[in-house]
Amino acid sequence: MSSRTLKLPPLNALIGGALIGTLLVVAGIGAVWTPYDPLRLSFRYKLAPPSEMFWLGTDEFGRDVLSRLMAGAATSVWISVLTVALAVVLGTLIGLFSGYMRGWTDRVIMAFNDALLAFPGILLALGLLAVVGANKYGIILALGLAYTPSVARIVRGTALSLREREFIAASRVMGNSEGYTMARHILPNCIAPLTVLATSMFGYVLLAESALSFLGLGVPPPAPTWGNMLAASRPYIGQAMWLGIFPGLCISLTLLGINLLGDAVRDKLDPRMRGAR
Amino acid sequence: MLRFALTRIVMAIPTLLIVAVSVFVLIRLIPGDPASLMLGDLATPASLADLRARLGLDQSLPVQFAIWFGNLLKGDLGISISSQQPILPLIVSRFWVSAQIVLVAVLLASLVAVPAGLIAAWKQDSALDIGLVALATLLLSIPTFWLGLLLLLFFGLKLGWLPVVGYVAIGDDPWRGLVYLVMPIMTLFLHEIGVLLRMARASTLEVLRLDYITHARAKGLSEMAVLWRHAFKNAFGPTWTLIGLVLGNLLGGIAVVETVFTIPGLGRLLVDSIFARDYPVIQGCMLFIAFTYVLVNLVIDLCYPLFDPRVTAQ
Amino acid sequence: MNRLLAGACLLPLLAGPALAQSLTVAVQADVRSINPGVNRDDGTDDFVLQMVEGLVGYDEGGTPQPLLAEKVDVSADGKTYTFTLRQGVKFHNGAELTSADVLWNWTRYMDPKTDWRCTSEFDGRAGLKVESVEAPDARTVVMKIDKPNALFLDTMARTDCAMTAIIHKDSLKADGSFDKPIGTGPFKLGEWKRGEYFTMSAFEGYASPKTDGKIDGYVGSKRPLVKDVKFLVVKDPATITAGLTSGAIDLSEILASDVQELRKQPKLEVVTASTAVRQVLLIQTRDAVMGNLKLRQAIAAALDMGEVVAAASDNIGETNTSPIYSRSAYFGPVEKQGLKYDPARAKKLLAEAGYKGEKISILANKRPRVPSFPAAVVVQAMLQAAGINAEIEVLDWATQLDRYNKGNYQMQSFSFSARFDPAIAFEQFAGNKDKQPRKVWDNPEALAKIDRLMTLSDRAERQKLVDELHKQVIEDVPLIFMFNGVDAIAHSKRIKGFQPWQSKLRMWEVTAN
Repeated sequence: MSSRTLKLPPLNALIGGALIGTLLVVAGIGAVWTPYDPLRLSFRYKLAPPSEMFWLGTDEFGRDVLSRLMAGAATSVWISVLTVALAVVLGTLIGLFSGYMRGWTDRVIMAFNDALLAFPGILLALGLLAVVGANKYGIILALGLAYTPSVARIVRGTALSLREREFIAASRVMGNSEGYTMARHILPNCIAPLTVLATSMFGYVLLAESALSFLGLGVPPPAPTWGNMLAASRPYIGQAMWLGIFPGLCISLTLLGINLLGDAVRDKLDPRMRGAR
Repeated sequence: MLRFALTRIVMAIPTLLIVAVSVFVLIRLIPGDPASLMLGDLATPASLADLRARLGLDQSLPVQFAIWFGNLLKGDLGISISSQQPILPLIVSRFWVSAQIVLVAVLLASLVAVPAGLIAAWKQDSALDIGLVALATLLLSIPTFWLGLLLLLFFGLKLGWLPVVGYVAIGDDPWRGLVYLVMPIMTLFLHEIGVLLRMARASTLEVLRLDYITHARAKGLSEMAVLWRHAFKNAFGPTWTLIGLVLGNLLGGIAVVETVFTIPGLGRLLVDSIFARDYPVIQGCMLFIAFTYVLVNLVIDLCYPLFDPRVTAQ
Repeated sequence: MNRLLAGACLLPLLAGPALAQSLTVAVQADVRSINPGVNRDDGTDDFVLQMVEGLVGYDEGGTPQPLLAEKVDVSADGKTYTFTLRQGVKFHNGAELTSADVLWNWTRYMDPKTDWRCTSEFDGRAGLKVESVEAPDARTVVMKIDKPNALFLDTMARTDCAMTAIIHKDSLKADGSFDKPIGTGPFKLGEWKRGEYFTMSAFEGYASPKTDGKIDGYVGSKRPLVKDVKFLVVKDPATITAGLTSGAIDLSEILASDVQELRKQPKLEVVTASTAVRQVLLIQTRDAVMGNLKLRQAIAAALDMGEVVAAASDNIGETNTSPIYSRSAYFGPVEKQGLKYDPARAKKLLAEAGYKGEKISILANKRPRVPSFPAAVVVQAMLQAAGINAEIEVLDWATQLDRYNKGNYQMQSFSFSARFDPAIAFEQFAGNKDKQPRKVWDNPEALAKIDRLMTLSDRAERQKLVDELHKQVIEDVPLIFMFNGVDAIAHSKRIKGFQPWQSKLRMWEVTAN
């Protein structure tokens, strides 16, 4: 690891950055311009294979897949980012507090946390969507809350094990406040496991709505998202493979990009790595 | 150790209580009711009233809860609205079906993913590492309903090696039962490799940076010894926690795989009951899943000190 | 054991072709129970009605015809029905059917403890009241109703009432609880493994109403010609397709979108048939926006129904904008004339309506075999093209049904269950919204006509009323009928004689080699 003396960014940052950059550009373009109207039906061109006219083919309603992917990029990314942010912020606060306080506070919080954790996501999503209303924000809230307890549990675990370390005790002895100690010493140590969790969560969110669709709870499609395109493609797996492959590929590449970039970011943020470069 | 376990079990009681109350409330907040679903668009006010009275849905919510909870304390989960079967045996039989798939798949996935994650971390940023990460990401991002169908089309139809539909319980006919489980297990296995590999890799990276690894290296220990004796043992802790989470989540989330492969498991039962608004079954399933979840996590936590000497079970 | 012996003695009665084959049929859901008309859904009715029969049953066109009865005589005042039972009809346990069995069943059905789905249809709460049931001799049953009703026999034949099936006393356990159906149908119950499969086997002692081999609804020739049938529960349509291709499944309903693909397979045959299910767009006339008649008419004129139907049904459906089923005897020249696609008129009406781009939400669900969602997508696109700001809201079915029952929606892409008699076909959506919020059409003039249709039995007079009502619906646009449901069934070519009908998988007269 010490051999990396060049100022060139590491390979993971390069590939990850390129993938995410492309994604952002596509999402940006898709928000203002697409080759065709992503919602326009055309019965003449139902399930047309990729061609010069439709680069990535058309779907069962004759809508252009490329246009839908571009338009869907912005929606999908936005939903995922907000959901993950909600879960991470809420979960970190709960986990830190619980793990640091220990004792009864910890037990009570964890009882609620475990109760929430034991709820299968679909029930929570169904319930919340019915109460909040079946729209984008309903999904964000439902999935965000569904993933909060896992974050809380991981952060709490890290806080618990760190609490016994010398440098935490030292911070306390030096007269630092509890809040400062948490923010300065415990939080940074949670970043590594959190980055991993958050990046996987990003993937789960992109996929969760397709799983919900598959099980019969369609997430409302005012605009296309990769997840619901993927779910809708399934009945045509035999006759129109491209319908599923392209949104699937988009999800895969996005996830890969986020993972690689996540690794790079973690290396930069990790307190033990500071000054190592 | 024993005291710890007992405390944890006692601690689980409030968790289960919270689950019981919140499930009861939540499913009644969701619009739709089982009586009107059963009668569909043909319901008349009279037939609807008859059915609601028979199902006990005409009583007030607190009364319904009191009746259900009273029976629960006696160990009776009630009977299903849609199938009229007693719920506890129904859940237990469905649970075994799901559990065998989940356990085998997660065990196999751990056996592959944890060493692979270790190697990826050891060779960080090499082509091998990026390749493994890319593979894991790809596996992670194929939805199980897609992966399952692809396997089904390939092994079931194209090659004709495995049966396409149906299910035979292992207990009835071990060999045929196993044949029916191959594809569902394979689907989950491939998916979980993605999840676990990334976690194992991240934990190992964490550990490899710590000072004592540098010390160990400096002492002249071979790379293999460093990896095994220091890195692996310490890195396994967080992965182990994740395995617990994965196990718990899967029991609720296996519905998709069960749908694709026509397996009468717990996940499918829960999802069907939600769509049928079969209140007592949903309540029973949720409590059962919560209970299993608590149990799995207890076992995981009890084992934790074995891997991470810094944490002691108290 | 006794039952077994009795069954064996009856064997020689049916010296037909050898019952050789077993069939595997995929169904999308497990049956809810095996108790006729009690804990039921459409799939449950389908299975149960292969094993039990009623005094009357629907023929292919949906008209009630004698089944266990040989004939039904109606008195001049329309209040006394005399059923003469067919001779030689036996239950699965070998006992002979007599009028005492009918009396026993009727008493059981009218007992609230039985929880029969249709008790309220006959006890006066829904308008029809059976005042007495008597059995003057072993082959005759006389039923008296309080006032003439054109729908009495139709209600008895309804599949959701399980045809008011006559079962043997031994179907109940000693404590009075239901055990299993011992009926008179062509098949008898085999094994039921909940959540996995249910089976039935041929009843060798079956006395078919006719033996000419011609299938006719629930009457006609009903000989069981296959040895056993296993109904396998398979939820995922893609798995069913794979199972049909591999030969693991012999017969199943399939998605409309798979019809083209499966037709290409040499080992499979695909058949389609229209059903009395009606795909509709409901409109809430009490909604602030949708209460505007001109707007509703504009919506109707903006839909190119041929395109809607082609896209929503994958080209296997036929447009039918009438509440009357297209195969019904009442579907005449007037009913064929329905909504007309007229973009210019839509534009004009929209201007007259004073529509200012208010959002209109269309509810839909994604149940796999119901075209609710695809229909909504096409309708939304066409409305948007006409300048109407339509949106789709996808709900799970239970939630959508709840909104339907409460009348809480602007528009819904919905299906009405099969209804044959025109009076019930109209009654299904017409009624007082204050008393029943689920009702869609509350034009008082029309309601009076529907009430008359209920009691009237003269064919020509009924047709006249039906024609008037049809025109009125088109004018009022409280809902828009789009097309009748379509059954698409794929089966292995080794199966002969299967005919799709009203989403029922009738296994009699079906042979396999």
